[in-house]
This record gives sequence, C-alpha cells and structure tokens, in this order.
Amino acid sequence: MSTTGPEQRLRTARIVLAVVGVVVIAFGAWVLVTSVRPDRIGGLVVWLIAAVVLHDAVLSPFVLAVGAGLRRAGRRLRAWVLVVVQAAVVLGSVLALVVVAEIVAKSEGTKNPTVLPFDYTARLLVVEGVLIAVVVVALVVGAVTARRRADEPVVAATTSP
Amino acid sequence: VQRLLSEARGVMASPNRTARSAVVTGRLLGIAFLVCFATGVYSHLLQEPPGWMRFPTRPVQLYQVTQGLHITAGIAAIPLLLAKLNVVMPALLQTPPVRGVLHLLERLSIAVFVTSALIQVVTGLLNTFQWYPWPFPFRQVHNALAYVIIGSLVLHIGTKLRIITRYWRSRDSYDEHGRFVPDATVGSDLPDPGREARPDSDASPRGLVGRLHRWIDGADVPRASRADGRPAEHAEHAERAEPVGQEAEAEGGRQRIARRGFIAGVTAATAGVVVLTAGQSSVLAEPFNVFGPRQRHIGQNGLPVNRTARAAGVLATATAADWALTVAGPAISRTFSRAELVALGQTEARLPISCVEGWSQMATWKGVPMRALLAAVQSDPDVHVRVTSLERHGGYRIMEMGPEYTADPTTLVALELNGEKLDLEHGFPARIIAAGRPGVLQTKWIERIEVIA
Repeated sequence: MSTTGPEQRLRTARIVLAVVGVVVIAFGAWVLVTSVRPDRIGGLVVWLIAAVVLHDAVLSPFVLAVGAGLRRAGRRLRAWVLVVVQAAVVLGSVLALVVVAEIVAKSEGTKNPTVLPFDYTARLLVVEGVLIAVVVVALVVGAVTARRRADEPVVAATTSP
Repeated sequence: VQRLLSEARGVMASPNRTARSAVVTGRLLGIAFLVCFATGVYSHLLQEPPGWMRFPTRPVQLYQVTQGLHITAGIAAIPLLLAKLNVVMPALLQTPPVRGVLHLLERLSIAVFVTSALIQVVTGLLNTFQWYPWPFPFRQVHNALAYVIIGSLVLHIGTKLRIITRYWRSRDSYDEHGRFVPDATVGSDLPDPGREARPDSDASPRGLVGRLHRWIDGADVPRASRADGRPAEHAEHAERAEPVGQEAEAEGGRQRIARRGFIAGVTAATAGVVVLTAGQSSVLAEPFNVFGPRQRHIGQNGLPVNRTARAAGVLATATAADWALTVAGPAISRTFSRAELVALGQTEARLPISCVEGWSQMATWKGVPMRALLAAVQSDPDVHVRVTSLERHGGYRIMEMGPEYTADPTTLVALELNGEKLDLEHGFPARIIAAGRPGVLQTKWIERIEVIA
C-alpha cells in the first residue's frame, strides 16, 4: 500500500469536488428544462448573457475609472481619511444600486400600499447626503490634523478600491 | 491584442486583486451562497413537499428565521459578489485567453457561475419589491439557478483548491513587511501587486499603464520619466541609495493601507445594505428600516398585505352573507357559518406571518383550532387536508397540509387578528394560520377543508 501524501490528497479532493460540482450543475440544468417552458428559457439565456456583458463591459470599467480617480484624488490624503472616503463611496454606490431599483419598482406601481411603503427617493438623498457629510468632515479633520503635524509624512497615492 | 490585454491587466493590478483577496472575498460570498441555498431549499420543500416529508412546527419562528436569513444573506451577497468580481477582474483579460481544452471549460464554467450569480441576486432582490421585469418565471428559475450556482461553487473550489489552500491563512499570504507573496506554482491568474508599476520605480512601464499611473500620482512624477518612460537619473540614484528594507517596508505599508481601504469599503457596503433593509424581518433591525421594501405594523389589522381581496377576485364572495365553510371528513361533512365557527370556541395563538419575499411579523390570532374542526366531523387530528380558497385563480388557491400541522393545537382557522375582526385583506371571513409555514400557504378567504388521507 502506498502512502497518500498531501499532494495526492489535494488531487483526489479536486477531482471529487469537480465531479460533484458538475453533477449538481447538471441537476440544476435538468430542473430548469423540466420546470420552465422552452420559449421562456430563451428569454432567460438573453438575460444571462446581458448580465455578464453589462457587468464586465460597463460596470467593471466604470468602477476601474472611479478607482483610478480616487487614487489620484487621494494621493495627498492621510491613510485613515482615504479609508473613510473609500468606504463612503462604496457604500453610497451599492445603496444607490439597490435603492434605485426600488424607486423604479415603485414607479411601476405596486399591488397594494404596504409594498414599498416609503418615499425611497427622499430617503436615498438623505442617506447619500449623510455620506457626503461624513466625507467632508473626514477631509476637513484630516487636513486640519495634517497641518498641525506638518512634519509628519502624509501617505502618498496608496490604494485602489 | 496581447499587449493591450496585458496593459489592461497592468491597470487592474492592485494589492486588492491578489489570490489572497480572492480567497477572502470568496469565502464570505461562499458562506452567503450556502446560507441562501440551504434556506432556499427548505422554503422550496415547504411549498412543494414530497408526500412523505414532515416539517417541524417548533419553534414557531423557524420559517421566519430561515427566510429572513435567506433574504438577508442574499442582500449581503450583492456587495460581496461585486467585491469578488472586482478582485478577480484581471483574470478576465488573462493571456493567452485559452490555454487548452480544460482551461476553456474552466473559463466557461466561471462564465456560467458569474452570470447565474448576477441574475440570481438581481432577480431575488427585485422579487422582494414584487417587480418582475423579465421574460421568465421567477420561482422556477430561482430554484434551478440555485443548483447551478452551488454546483459551480463546488467545481470552482475544486479547480482553485491549490490557490485556496495556499492563501487560506493571512500569515502564509504576506511577508514580514506586509507585502503579498506571489506564488507562481499555484496557478493564480491574478497579477502580482508588487509589479504594479509605480512611476518612481524602475518597474515603471511605458504606454497606457505608465501614463495612467503617472496621471494618478500627478506631481510626484520625476520629470524625465515622462519623456522616455525611464526614471530620471537622480530618482534612480535616490532609490538605489535607499536601504532595501525601508523600500520593502514602504511597499508593505502601501499594500496594507490599500487592503484596509478595500475591507472597509466592502464591510461598510455589506453592513449598510443589510442593516438598512433587514428591519422588514428582524426586530433588532426594525429601528433602522430605511430602505426595506416592507415596514412592519402598517396595513389592515396592523399587518402588511401581500395579495389583496381585489387581486384575488373575492370582493363579492368573501363578503357574501351566505358564506359558509365546508369541512368534509372521511365519513361526514358539515358547513359552518362564521357565527357557528365562533360558537365552536376560539383559541388564541401567537404566530408570525412570514412571507417568502422575506418580510415577517409576529401577530396574535384568534380562531377555531383545526383539531376542533376535524373532531366536529369525526376525523382524527393526524390527517392530510386540502384547503380551498374563494380565490378565482392563482397558484395558491388550493393548499395541502400534513398531519404535523393539522394536529398542532396552534393551527387555527383564524377569525380575528391582533384583537380585531379579521380584515378582508387578511382573509375575512376565515383564513388558515399555522406554525412554521410560508405566508403563501396561510390560505386566506377559505371556503372548504377536506380530509384527503
């Protein structure tokens, strides 16, 4: 009997995972074709392709550009200020994505007044306003403390979100 | 094209686009997906159970918790998925694009994984808004894609296992200065952030990447490097004179701050979307329900409504004076007017209404126990029943219920809700309420209960 080294175990694990994965994917495909009418699967395929194209060709380059812009704008910022600004920008963007969908859904009309009961536009503006205020406060505090400790080095262009 | 791809990869190179970042974000996203999958399958089985299957009815909040988790983990998966895709962005433009049949299959499987995951979280989110702008049925596709995603996840872990084990622990991923340690032997498709060009270093590349980094770093650029892409002589000297350890320390510090910024962003986004929406299904998050698609305690009887009486087409039939509930036992059949139901004696139960769309709320119900109704037609309590609603159409017009619910003393034909007469929107004259079931099975406006086994 040969001993099984870590390399052998890794290989076995990879093969088992790959086989199980493919079987489960195939099961999902079977569930799909047995529960969804063929003409509607066509619509799904269009949506699947559109999703990956939208993400990879529109959203990703946009995020990359914003990231580069942040790096340029942030090159003179202290590290903690940059971290706060980044967190606010990312949170603000994700909230906007989710809540804009909610606003559109509400404008399409809801089935009763207890579905989407809030004024999501006003609430989004308030929350984004708070985030902008946080960014401004961080920038101001960062600038003031930087001036006080002028001899301390600032962190130059450090990061990409 | 090859040069363009590699330049674009250079633009994307970042301390946050390493194999370690991919492992860290992948772990979190994997957990979110597994929670969604487990709770989703449970919800699906509750709605379409195999005949032999029985479900727990205690704790009564069980489904409220599992479905609340399902929606919350799904919402958390949105920023986590975006973060994960951002981390692995350079792999999209790897050169050569295809290295062989296995590599092609792996890339195709990742394409399926990514697009299924995107569609799953987007349609799942919009479903909580009851908005369906797509040309396919939501529930069936959501169910099928769940298996495609979990299968893809398992397959993905298999194909990347070498990278995952190599970078599982932080201490194996960074050197003593905090710099990412690239390992060419594990086959990561992500560029080394140490090679991420800095304009004031020897590694400064020409072309697009160099220009971009010079734009980013602005005034810090030594003048000569703009002319020929090589650092100016004095900069070169300055760097050579600098002790290597200090340079490594600076690079480590730079990477560490970049990682902190990224983690802060992802944490803020995930915590933000969860905290500001989870109030629709969690008491703890109720005060922070800023963006939840539902708000507790609004609506008739102080409870939100899903399907209205008008939508169900029961405005006339549910308010008809001659409404009566038929209960058909194995031997005899009886009909009860609402007054006769009240006369049977009412029991109070505290049970949550928990919607598949994630919102839920505890409520106080008063009505006739199912057991008592079954006894009135000389039936055992441990039976399967079929309940029919006055609804004209809809997938939930007919509902079946197993013995674990019929025998449960808290399962009611409810006549009152939160201390008032049951409102028409909540199922007047009578509705079902049982522990641990999705809201769509708490049938409203019932007209017939029939023992079927």
